[in-house]
Amino acid sequence: MKSKAKVQYLVSLAVSVLLALVLGGVIMALTGHDPLEGYSALITGALGTKRGLGNTLAKTATLCLTGLATAVAAKAGIFNVGGEGQLYLGAIASAYVGAKLAGLSPWIGIPLCLLAAMAAGGVYAVVPAILKVKLKVSEVITTIMLNSAAIYFCSYLANGPLKTAEKGVSAGTDAIDKSFMFSKLIKMSSLTESIFIAAFIALFVWYLMSRTTIGYEMQLTGQNSRFARYSGIKSDKLAIGSMVLSGAICGLVGMFEVFGQHGRFIESVSKDFYFDGMLVAMIMHYKPFGIILMSFFFGILQIGSTAMESRVGISSELILIVQSIIIFFMAAEEGILASIQAQKIKRNSAARIAKEATEK
Amino acid sequence: MNWESIFNVGLLQNTLRTATPVILAGLGCLMTEHVGIMNIGIDGMMIVGAFVAVLASYFLGSWLLALVFALLSGVLLGLFYGLFVVKFKSDEFIIGVALNIFAGALTVFLLRTIFNVKGAFSDPAIVPLPKLSADWLESIPLIGPLLNNNTLLVYVSWVMVLVCWLFIYRTPAGFWLRAAGEHPQSLRAAGKSPEKMKYLASVLCGAFSALAGAHLSLGYLTMFSENMSNSKGYVAVACVIFGRANPPLVFLAALLFGFIDALGTRLQSVGVDPTLTKIFPYVGTVLMMVLLAIRERAKKKAAQAAK
Repeated sequence: MKSKAKVQYLVSLAVSVLLALVLGGVIMALTGHDPLEGYSALITGALGTKRGLGNTLAKTATLCLTGLATAVAAKAGIFNVGGEGQLYLGAIASAYVGAKLAGLSPWIGIPLCLLAAMAAGGVYAVVPAILKVKLKVSEVITTIMLNSAAIYFCSYLANGPLKTAEKGVSAGTDAIDKSFMFSKLIKMSSLTESIFIAAFIALFVWYLMSRTTIGYEMQLTGQNSRFARYSGIKSDKLAIGSMVLSGAICGLVGMFEVFGQHGRFIESVSKDFYFDGMLVAMIMHYKPFGIILMSFFFGILQIGSTAMESRVGISSELILIVQSIIIFFMAAEEGILASIQAQKIKRNSAARIAKEATEK
Repeated sequence: MNWESIFNVGLLQNTLRTATPVILAGLGCLMTEHVGIMNIGIDGMMIVGAFVAVLASYFLGSWLLALVFALLSGVLLGLFYGLFVVKFKSDEFIIGVALNIFAGALTVFLLRTIFNVKGAFSDPAIVPLPKLSADWLESIPLIGPLLNNNTLLVYVSWVMVLVCWLFIYRTPAGFWLRAAGEHPQSLRAAGKSPEKMKYLASVLCGAFSALAGAHLSLGYLTMFSENMSNSKGYVAVACVIFGRANPPLVFLAALLFGFIDALGTRLQSVGVDPTLTKIFPYVGTVLMMVLLAIRERAKKKAAQAAK
């Protein structure tokens, strides 16, 4: 039975993705572009060159981490929409520490920066988690509000107290120590050594969620917190803990951007990276292994979409539209199947009644 | 500190300006709240309303037609939302978030495809909403400048607060709407379909949110810019929770939000960093929600103690 459900899920996923891509093609055609040309530019842009492939892999890592961050919290029953803010705080905290510790050996400096990023993201995630658990304040609203608050706060810091004195930098913090930077694995691409840390975290989260008691308890808490509490699980602590883990991962994603690409905190450190990962997690129903796989597909779409924009002139936003269409389908999967089933039954019974009527 | 440069008529005027879209979106959101749906897709409905209003105003040269088309887009999005949440019984949060991302991406895509611009679109051909004023009001201090020179939708939002209250608490349809959220079985037993009431609430929500969007893009600014709703849709949801989905209370909550926002803007005039004051409304909203939760808890405890 379980495998049947799995097959059904995979079929729905394949159909959803296909339909969404077809709809994307229709939109391309409607706006006067050749869909085949658009999609081929997308694929060659994402996978055709070494640099493109590097960017795609780096994007995959970002999507995967943010997606897993969503999943960790969601499995324990908390919907963390605030990853973007946690990411920003992680980025600025690690950039600050990275600049302050300049001159130190990277073997000491980088771990401290990692810790700073995780702490900033984790602490910021604790606030909505405690409000949710203790006071039942909707975490969806608070995390969204705290997103905007964090982003504006960071831009205040980068323009004000922490603004670098360096000339030619319009808004940003002091540069971190050069020796702390992750080195690039493929030249000119955004693929850096951070992908190894990302892979380790992904494995860790997957292991935690699907192979440990904590993961199982988290699931019970997420499914039915009252039942979980009666069976002796400290569901409040678990929910807060998973939210902290979620925030810490987001903080790290922010740090990877600073230490891999920019070398300092800048205001455009993230372009809705968290929301992109959240979409992946939603589509994959918060299943860790699925998120890891789907991140690669979405990485191709996202990196390819910029090539599509520059080569064929189709706005890259189209890919975001395609992705949200996939979510609509996947979220409605059961409902759509049920209504198809209902129609079938209706038709069958109507046919039977008609048949019986003619037999008489 | 110069208090008069902060606390003046301008502060109240700004309060009204920033509160109006939240009031309108809040009225929409409280409809779905009454049928038991927490609609966080309001932000997306607003941004589409804002875009369609600018589009129609630009091409048709009429603010009235702009409002009509914005309303139409809201109704369609409401039906779309209803289809997924009511018919397909999808997770309302996921659909809400997906709707926001979809709406954000769609408007940016169309902005680039139709107008070939990135970021923002403004043009003298866009007809703004009319501003109303009466000469005899001008002579009254404080009230005159406050009541005069607002766009049409500001006054509409005040009337709508009353209309929505009457609708929800004084009409049969409003009664069924509330029943669809509180006792759907009883409503069904009485021969009314809770699903239909949920659809109605979604459509009303879409319509009000789209109006809120139209006020954003054709009210005080006559332009559309990417992401111009700026999480105001979520603020509206917070106001609805804060105001317990009761229109006059939601109205007050929205005004409170507007006041915090305006206060932040005013503080810039005495030298407080403008990027820092932008945090005000968001932190303010969180604090509002926390205050409400603490009060509710105290009430519950008092009720338990009374037992």
